[in-house]
Amino acid sequence: MDLDFRKSNDVVIIELGGKIMGGSDSAKFFEQLETSLGEGHQRYVIDLEKVHWMNSSGLGILIRALKTIRDHRGSLKLARSTRKIQDILTITKLMMVFRTYDTVDEAVHSFDEST
Amino acid sequence: MDNCQNIDNRYDREACHLDELAALAREASPHLDNGSHPAVLALVQKSMELPNAANLLRDAKQERLQNEVFIRIGSELSSRLALDELLPQIIDSLQEVVHYDAAGIFLVDSETGQIEGQVLRGYQVDSLHQVRQKVGQGLMGAVIQSGQPLRVGDVEHDPRYINARNQTRSEMAVPLLSEGRVIGCFNLESDQKDAYTEHDQELLSTLANHAAIAIERVRFYREVLRKRQYEEELSLARQIQLSFLPRNVPKFRPYDLAGINFPSQAVGGDYYDYISLTDKDLGIAIGDVSGKGMGAALIMASFRASLRVECVHNFEIRDILARVNHFLCESTDIDKFVTAFYGVLDRETGRLTYGNAGHDPPVIIHADNSVEKLDATGMVLGAFPDSEYDVQIYDFRPGDALLMYTDGVTEAMNSRLEPFGLDRLVAECIRNRDLDAGALVWKITREVRKFCSPEPVKDDLTLIALRLPDA
Repeated sequence: MDLDFRKSNDVVIIELGGKIMGGSDSAKFFEQLETSLGEGHQRYVIDLEKVHWMNSSGLGILIRALKTIRDHRGSLKLARSTRKIQDILTITKLMMVFRTYDTVDEAVHSFDEST
Repeated sequence: MDNCQNIDNRYDREACHLDELAALAREASPHLDNGSHPAVLALVQKSMELPNAANLLRDAKQERLQNEVFIRIGSELSSRLALDELLPQIIDSLQEVVHYDAAGIFLVDSETGQIEGQVLRGYQVDSLHQVRQKVGQGLMGAVIQSGQPLRVGDVEHDPRYINARNQTRSEMAVPLLSEGRVIGCFNLESDQKDAYTEHDQELLSTLANHAAIAIERVRFYREVLRKRQYEEELSLARQIQLSFLPRNVPKFRPYDLAGINFPSQAVGGDYYDYISLTDKDLGIAIGDVSGKGMGAALIMASFRASLRVECVHNFEIRDILARVNHFLCESTDIDKFVTAFYGVLDRETGRLTYGNAGHDPPVIIHADNSVEKLDATGMVLGAFPDSEYDVQIYDFRPGDALLMYTDGVTEAMNSRLEPFGLDRLVAECIRNRDLDAGALVWKITREVRKFCSPEPVKDDLTLIALRLPDA
């Protein structure tokens, strides 16, 4: 799994790439997320454009990320999810809890609209 | 041994004679002058050099003793198969070769990088925590990091020294090397300054080489034992998990029912079940736990237990799923979840009442080959405690075939990374319309394997077929 945390104003953009399969990927992801939350960041966008493949453990990472961010009174949006990921979110009905956007910009601006 | 003792005694005796002779010569020396006989002068002169010969004899005795200790240690090392027997033996034998006031054998934990004292002599128990050091810290840390031995004649003047014993004045540490990798070190401390010589360092290094081989051999043996034990436990877990799956297909005329499950590892996270509720109502469940292996199998066991308990006490599918969800949210990690389909079929009316908690939609293939999906009515189980589950109804028609499956079937990949997919699953069902449910699930499983070949099926695979024959 490729992983990159970057900031755009007050939004943290987490770019994921490759195969998202849980395990050691998960540990690396949450270490960085906890650090970022500890610094007080509350708005997160996960950019999924470069994800080729995601299994159920990978989906578990997204669920845990959403809950962890919510526990810190933050919010998480998904951007550029691939067709495959959209299908998984639809089948599992997780679309009900994840807000997804076609572009990273849309996801970033959605925080201003909702406040 | 007696013979060795005799030789040692003889070495000592001869060395004493030589020393006495030298002492006599020293005593006689002032009384000699130019008038003395040249032979007497030469005798006294030569006799005064005898301590060198005595020391040679003592060295020879010491060397013989060392060899004997090494042979004994070598034989001990090769016969011990437990570290807690082997390491004390090494450290106690060491005292006979190189004197120490405190000593320890330390091994590096390959996972934490922590240096752990495995066996210690001469340290206060309270100072043990000071003896534990991270790789790179202290004198032992330096030895472990560099893989080079170290001798410090005066520890007070070495900034690397970490005080674990107030009396220590000098220290020597050598690495334990296995195939070029540092697995630990020997550490000796003395209350005297400059206690250790280069010769001592060579002796300790030789012993360390023997010990490293023995330690690795014991570790390998332990690993083999652990693996064997793990395989036995896994086999037991597999048997337990098999007992969770239906042994027999309930007779449920006029319906024809069959299920099949293949875990990709010894145990897996897939589940299916038939639960007889009344004479005419049969509960049918299929589920898939996120992840694989033992972790998924344990969640699967929790899921099965909670589903069965709820089914017995409650006929409302929305309540059953909500309660199972709540239980799983409380009892599993937040990134673990279960997708599941649970339906109750009334054989008299042909009505299937179901809830689908984020599971791959079961498909119904009608007699005219048209296809209908039983989509999710609620979110996956175990992720969000307040999830709600709708209930849907499907009324069976003659000629219908219902396929319930886990993603191990549809996501099974071939070497070109193409998934088997729902379309192939449906096509197989249509092509094999004449087969009964039992033969159909086997046929589809074979087709999935053939599709993936030469790659193995990498995920747990579960499939249930339910047919209502033509009227």
